[in-house]
Amino acid sequence: MKKKMNRRTFLKYSAAVGATTAISGFPTILKAQAPEIKIASIQPVTGVISDIGISMRRANQMAVDDINAKGGIKSKGGAKLKLLLADTEAKEEVARTEAERVIKEGAVCLVGPFLSGNAMTIATLCEQRGVPFVMDVAAADDITRKGFKNTFRVFPTTTKFADSMLFYMTRIMKDKNISKIKGVLTNTGDLFGRVQGATFKKTLTDKKFPIELLGHIEYPLGIQDLSAEVSKIKALKPDVLFPVARPGDAKLMTRELYKQRVELRAIISPGSPGWYEPEFIRDMKAISDYVMDNVPWYNPVGKMYKEVNAAFAKKFPGKYIDTNSGYAYLGVLVIADALERAKSTKAEDIVEALKKTYLKQDLMVGLAVNFDERGDNVNADTAMIQIIGQTLKVVLPDKAAEAQYIYPMPKQLWERGM
Amino acid sequence: MKKLYIFLLIALLFLLVLPKFLSSYVLGIFIMIFFYAYLGQSWNILTGYTGVISLGHSLYVGIGAYMTFLLTLTLGLSPWIGMWIGGIAAGLIGLVIGFFGFRFGLKGVYFVLLTIAFAEIGRLIILHLKVFGSFQGLFITPEFSFANFQFKENTPYYYIALGYVIFSLIVVQLLERSKIGRYLVALREEEDAAESLGVDVFKYKMIAIFISAFMTSLAGAFYTNYLYYLHPGTMMSMAFSIEIILRPIIGGMGTVLGPVIGSFLITPLAELSRIYFAKAGYEGLHLVIYGFLLVAVVLFFPRGVISYIKKVLSPILIGRVIK
Amino acid sequence: MNLNLLLQLAISGFLLGGVYSLIAIGLSLIFGVMRVINFAHGEMMVWGMYVAYTILLWTGVDPFFSFLVSAAILFILGYLLQRTVVNRILDFPEAMQVLPLVGMAMVFENSARIIWGPDYISPQSRFALSSLSLGSIMIDTPRFMAFSLAIIITIMVLLFLKKTDMGKSIRAAADNRTGALLVGTDVNKVYAVCFGIGTACVGAAGGLLVPLMPLSPHIGAPFTLISFIIVILGGMGSLTGAMVGGLIIGVAESIGPELITNIFHGVGLDLEFPHTMKQVVSFFILIVIMILRPQGLFGGKKG
Repeated sequence: MKKKMNRRTFLKYSAAVGATTAISGFPTILKAQAPEIKIASIQPVTGVISDIGISMRRANQMAVDDINAKGGIKSKGGAKLKLLLADTEAKEEVARTEAERVIKEGAVCLVGPFLSGNAMTIATLCEQRGVPFVMDVAAADDITRKGFKNTFRVFPTTTKFADSMLFYMTRIMKDKNISKIKGVLTNTGDLFGRVQGATFKKTLTDKKFPIELLGHIEYPLGIQDLSAEVSKIKALKPDVLFPVARPGDAKLMTRELYKQRVELRAIISPGSPGWYEPEFIRDMKAISDYVMDNVPWYNPVGKMYKEVNAAFAKKFPGKYIDTNSGYAYLGVLVIADALERAKSTKAEDIVEALKKTYLKQDLMVGLAVNFDERGDNVNADTAMIQIIGQTLKVVLPDKAAEAQYIYPMPKQLWERGM
Repeated sequence: MKKLYIFLLIALLFLLVLPKFLSSYVLGIFIMIFFYAYLGQSWNILTGYTGVISLGHSLYVGIGAYMTFLLTLTLGLSPWIGMWIGGIAAGLIGLVIGFFGFRFGLKGVYFVLLTIAFAEIGRLIILHLKVFGSFQGLFITPEFSFANFQFKENTPYYYIALGYVIFSLIVVQLLERSKIGRYLVALREEEDAAESLGVDVFKYKMIAIFISAFMTSLAGAFYTNYLYYLHPGTMMSMAFSIEIILRPIIGGMGTVLGPVIGSFLITPLAELSRIYFAKAGYEGLHLVIYGFLLVAVVLFFPRGVISYIKKVLSPILIGRVIK
Repeated sequence: MNLNLLLQLAISGFLLGGVYSLIAIGLSLIFGVMRVINFAHGEMMVWGMYVAYTILLWTGVDPFFSFLVSAAILFILGYLLQRTVVNRILDFPEAMQVLPLVGMAMVFENSARIIWGPDYISPQSRFALSSLSLGSIMIDTPRFMAFSLAIIITIMVLLFLKKTDMGKSIRAAADNRTGALLVGTDVNKVYAVCFGIGTACVGAAGGLLVPLMPLSPHIGAPFTLISFIIVILGGMGSLTGAMVGGLIIGVAESIGPELITNIFHGVGLDLEFPHTMKQVVSFFILIVIMILRPQGLFGGKKG
């Protein structure tokens, strides 16, 4: 929006500058003239997973605010980041239109969008328009296998999830002297659920791992009743349940397991959001204890994590930094770091800078953010978290652990006095 | 009528030169307007003209999209060729649905539910097939070329989408003037009377559903190669079916220009309501407003916006094209 | 073939079917009398759920009591909706009737999100975790209570329609609108009350479902579809039909996938009918009924 610079406006402007300079001193002039660098947050803030979308947008914004508070992009004269907001509504066609819109409005880099399908559409568009795109969260491996030059992923790939899961299971089985585990795998019928489930299953077969899956049960996303599925689980008599679930069905399933008195040694998720949501623990109380989840997670002993989490919890009472919001925050840090090193807002320069990223961080479990030729973060990793005493604790890997893991569950779901 | 044609010609010329002046983003909006206008027009053939209500049209888009993809994958066929084969497949499915519906006398809400049932079954089946990406969906590899129906800029997509719309307008216009078209309208208005006059009701309804399904599915190829991601949850869902019928209903069913006008009204409306009303803490407000707007438009324009335009413009333009 | 599992599934499905029946009865009333496809049915049920949840949150009163408040509030909402929107579209061509209700569905769904937030909520109510056992069969207490209360409400609605003046007017207006007008019935009011009762049923059902499933603004749509399938299966305008239909669908969805898998294995096919396709069972039943017996199981007139 260009303001018409006529005489009146010019005089008004000069007067204002003059006045503020007189009152607050010289630096004001610099502030008034420092440019903005626009980046865009594109998340599913409305639609079926708006809870996650909102959380991620908040984290994107908080990161921008924190960077600005610390002086903005210093290599560009302290330019402040401005976060343009876009909503994909969890739909590809909206994702494309919104991405197009923010590019038109001047965004030099996009961050988002949680859903892999939306990510594909946005990545293609960014490739078409030559704009860099940093995926804070999006798990499907395929996206970085299309030869895109402008797309970078901070989040671990699904293959990484499965590999880490097996790594942790190996550790648990070795510690507890278990030679074989009989398990049942369940997952929701959404992109994430299905891919997680399938990758876990395939990795078990490929690596000839001593976990025997007695059954693999899938149910539609948004299901309201899991009694049939849980009856089936009970009939299969597994040692361990490996459920990939979203918050709604996680609660549903736990209650059903309780009511149908399904005996289990443990509930270990190969990686899903349902089990670590605050609402899960809040609503399930003692029944949530001992559930384990293999997820990309914040680093509880990290300095950055502690600061960011404290600020987030203060700003949004009842919420805390989790996998998605953590990576959303980190995604913006990656962009800011690239801008700092690129010293320019030109797309090619930002892409070059992103390629060379080596961002040390202790916000999330895993080492410094570093991208390979495909754009995947080689150091992205998962942690095994467990609910102990109705609090989430990282139990593996040891160097990020807050507590010792507990296996098997000392008390079944219905033995906890509820 | 001549005046109307002149007006349309001017509008067409205007649309043809528009890409030179518009940003990629606005072009994208036009593309969506054309896309939905085309879909709405294809649906219009069955529902507006023949009076058979379908709420499962997303099924045909899905068939078109997945068939085209499959043919590219297995035979290396360009979507330009594949889409016609997909169209035939969709048309055949349409005939199956039509058979169950028309042969057994299912009308009104019964037929609507039949179409929903088939669409949902189709969606669930495709959701479980590995070759179609199962729950994960299909990530389409971008390789920009005309043969691949994939382009870097929005401009080619714009012209193709415009082409689709013009194609559908021609089809509907021809249909309206033909014998088939007259029979279809007769069916819609007074089915029993038409039957007693010797019109083979079953045959003509089957023709209508075939054409409608065939045309709807052609849009599938466009969708696949514009958004680069296929998932039955988005493209074969009830929500998508509802989006398809929205524009022709609001614009005016059973008319040639109704779906186009409807699309020019609704698509920007949705976009604007998202831009202006999507605020933090009130996420979803734009959808509440969108919902209310839908209710209001239907209440005030029950015969579609086009009837209102007709009333206002009829002293100026009298034409056979707008019924 | 695991008979025990099948029995468990069947009972579980049967109990849930009771609540489905209640939802369908609401729709049957609305559709039977006004011939309107209430596309907002599921979303209004979700409002009923949220009302009961809010009462639980503020007063601690269990949804198994507060569902009555849900019913009352949904009655008012339905009554108002009918008088403002639905009444005007009664004579519209069917295609035009779809849109306003779809619009209202969007309004209900998204305003619920703005008011209560998008997160899944699963409040702890008194009976949420208890179950009874009959031998090796587990009976889910909340489900059993929902079932029993749903049946009671259904009986009450049936009595209302048979015994009260308003009820009789509703039935008269359903059968013959012109006739009802001629004898001086305030048809508009009758329709509004009827719609209100329909939505009250669905509001009550929502309240009863709170202990059973997690709430979110978006869970309404599948319920709208299911209630339509049940109404057609049972027979348009037949409340008994809606009752029976609900139970059948509840059982079918529950044991369907398992049964079909067993049949596949029985004929030597190494195929599994996945639970994620359980809706196919209901849709299949719908298609078969529409073809073979369109008036439904208990419907009188054809089509």
